[in-house]
Amino acid sequence: GASRKEEREVEADRAVPEREERSEPSLIHPPPRRRSYVPPKDLQSCLESHVREVFGPSVPQDWQQTPLQENRLKHRLLARLAAELGHAVPNSQLHRMRRAGDVLGFYRSPVKDSTKIDELAAAELPPNLKIIWQQ
Amino acid sequence: MIRAGAAALRAWSRGRGWAALSTAPPAPPAAPEPRREEPPVPPPVLRSCRVPVVPPLSPVQAWVGSLRHPEDTLRGLADLHPDVFAVTPRLDILHAVATWQRNYKRISHARVRSRAEVRGGGRKPWRQKGSGRARHGSVRSPLWRGGGIAHGPRGPTSYFYMLPMRVRVLGLKVALSVKLMQDELHVVDTLEMPSSDPRYLLELARARRWGRSVLVVDTNEFPENISAAAEGLKSITLIPALGLNVHSLLKHQTLLLTLDAVAFLEQRLLWHDARYSALVPFSLPHRDLPWPPPAG
Repeated sequence: GASRKEEREVEADRAVPEREERSEPSLIHPPPRRRSYVPPKDLQSCLESHVREVFGPSVPQDWQQTPLQENRLKHRLLARLAAELGHAVPNSQLHRMRRAGDVLGFYRSPVKDSTKIDELAAAELPPNLKIIWQQ
Repeated sequence: MIRAGAAALRAWSRGRGWAALSTAPPAPPAAPEPRREEPPVPPPVLRSCRVPVVPPLSPVQAWVGSLRHPEDTLRGLADLHPDVFAVTPRLDILHAVATWQRNYKRISHARVRSRAEVRGGGRKPWRQKGSGRARHGSVRSPLWRGGGIAHGPRGPTSYFYMLPMRVRVLGLKVALSVKLMQDELHVVDTLEMPSSDPRYLLELARARRWGRSVLVVDTNEFPENISAAAEGLKSITLIPALGLNVHSLLKHQTLLLTLDAVAFLEQRLLWHDARYSALVPFSLPHRDLPWPPPAG
């Protein structure tokens, strides 16, 4: 009698914080960053302004031929572009970015939205459900 | 970069969520002057290769992030040596090293009794001729039910073998290169975390889309927060850089290296490219090994 009531209370106590978490999903589990990227229309001018801002007077006549040899300036440029466009160059492509023209080519290519199953896999799932989707 | 104060961290752990951590700095009470709202940008963390890169090759690069906040991923730029992180992807070597790792420790204890070891069977069951039955010499021969096994597993069998040291080193290099080229390698300046809550680590891995399992590598000791957080977690593993191996790299989806670990790995893995062959095993004392001699 009394022990059963205590068990029910314990179960209710455990259930209550779970319900609280479920009722406020957006606060506790922020959604992961979207992978999709669509290049904006003024990409070239935006990039050119950033290159001139970062490199200052040492930009050659054709700004797309600006070499990105120095790591400090390269990091500054790419970090600014990532902050503005919401899309960063992945680690595997960083060594290919040797000139400003390469960066322009990278940011011109759109990144597709994930498929529905990818979105489902990345969405809120109960802890005992795992989706393994390999393309 | 958003710095979380102690009160905000307490609120976060109580379940208030990111709203507590991401509180903007309180607006100035009465100053209508338009001041620049740029927070002080910390200087970028830049790392260049200590081992010189020979000219036709150029270093590969990776972003240097940190674990202090989920959005803090673009802190700096690290140069990685191409002879460690940009090797030809030799999948056959990966297979060889992974198989070796599985098998070299294996001792199979399977053992069955042969006809000599099964109890009984010393006497000829019936005479050779005249009884009408097939001729037999012992009731425990492999033909008989209950008899010994002819060619079964015999005793503890060892599957020990060693791949050449350079093949194992190349396997590590190939695995690291594959991780980098598949965007599964991340570099971090230190492993300091604002809280020792395992949920923080899990949510950070989820927000940065790292995958289901993370392998964290540092040189010697891990800070308390991350070791406490990863202790209960099965999907996040901490190992020292000396324990890096191909099986763990393939088993975990993402690899997280600190700058110290990158330097350590580059130094140790590149030494084998330019060393003399060992006339004497490396376990004996040498003068010119890249690692410090063991004490005692």
